[in-house]
Amino acid sequence: MKKIVDWFDERIQTREIKETLFDRKIPKGVGWIYALGSASLFLLILQAVTGILLAMSYSAAPDHAYASVQYITEQIPMGAIIRGLHKWGASFMVIVVTLHMIRVYFMGAYKFPRELTWVLGVLIWLVVIGFGFTGYLLPWDQKGYWATMVGANLAGQAPFIGEAASKVLRGGEALGAITLTRFYAIHVLVLPASLLTLVGLHLFLVVRQGISAPPERDKGERS
Amino acid sequence: MDTEDNGRRSFLKKAIFFLSGLIGAGLAVPSGIYFLSPIWKKTEEDWIELGPVGEIPKREPIKVDFVQRKKDGWVTVEGRSSAWVITADGQNFTVFDPHCTHLGCPYRWDASKKQFLCPCHNAAFGIDGEVLAGPPPRALDRFASKVVGGKLLIRPLSEKKEG
Ligand code: FES
Repeated sequence: MKKIVDWFDERIQTREIKETLFDRKIPKGVGWIYALGSASLFLLILQAVTGILLAMSYSAAPDHAYASVQYITEQIPMGAIIRGLHKWGASFMVIVVTLHMIRVYFMGAYKFPRELTWVLGVLIWLVVIGFGFTGYLLPWDQKGYWATMVGANLAGQAPFIGEAASKVLRGGEALGAITLTRFYAIHVLVLPASLLTLVGLHLFLVVRQGISAPPERDKGERS
Repeated sequence: MDTEDNGRRSFLKKAIFFLSGLIGAGLAVPSGIYFLSPIWKKTEEDWIELGPVGEIPKREPIKVDFVQRKKDGWVTVEGRSSAWVITADGQNFTVFDPHCTHLGCPYRWDASKKQFLCPCHNAAFGIDGEVLAGPPPRALDRFASKVVGGKLLIRPLSEKKEG
């Protein structure tokens, strides 16, 4: 084992990489709520793994979508667990990422010099919401169908661009086969690619700059 | 760093490895089973009714067509298929897969020669399915069959006859 580590270390300095990634200096006073970012990362990996597995037996066509999801839960061994993990993981993802954002906001951790990390984080949050919105339609059940209808109608309310926006979302006038393939492509191609890029940059900045110290009370100035 | 701190440090390190391993295994096992599940999947073919036993001639092979419903994942496909049925006494039936065991061509029954002939590479099989001439590596494949309530049922899954 040590030999293998040494072999790589001699060539590409893996110990240095490990040190920068894992042996970072952490400011005093850092507690559990600082783990929300790592928790988001864990959920991201969970969603990616379960999502890939689900995509193997999913058919994004109105005739087959519902039946294929049914097939996953009822016929494939562990299918119900994999789907359950993906479904609950999705809700947790939204919650945990939002909590992470709230923590950063209230601790002022978005301030100089970490504005870029914050901006990337906000974009990531939007992508996560996009995942939730597009993924909700894929089982092609009543709930997903009507929720998407509501979503598309909401987009339609936007001034000036509303109608165009809802048409682009739906892929046409009506919510149907084209909407489903569209949402599927966005869910498994567009959003994962964006998320990977954004999270990569976000994490690079986190490692590069280190995490911010918790804010301190100004002693003495309080009356 | 005093020893107490070191002890705490290495304990936490171990705890992290242990818990990560546990969570990792908890995810990897179901995922692995899900991904590898085709290995354990059994193709189950339902019995298909071919018709009343009395309608099948004795000592003369007859080709019977039937509609087969096949489950393909979440899709059910209906396919037309056929089988050669032979009976000597109207009670015991032999049912052959209608494809030649060489490369899968459909064969026919030559009533004058009393042989199954495959036109693709000039193979000949006897009425018992044994190879008489040509390249096929084994005798004709059979379908399982049974008689229930005077009706002949078959299960169109080839049962390879060894040897
Ligand atoms: S396929 Fe029948 S002889 Fe070749």
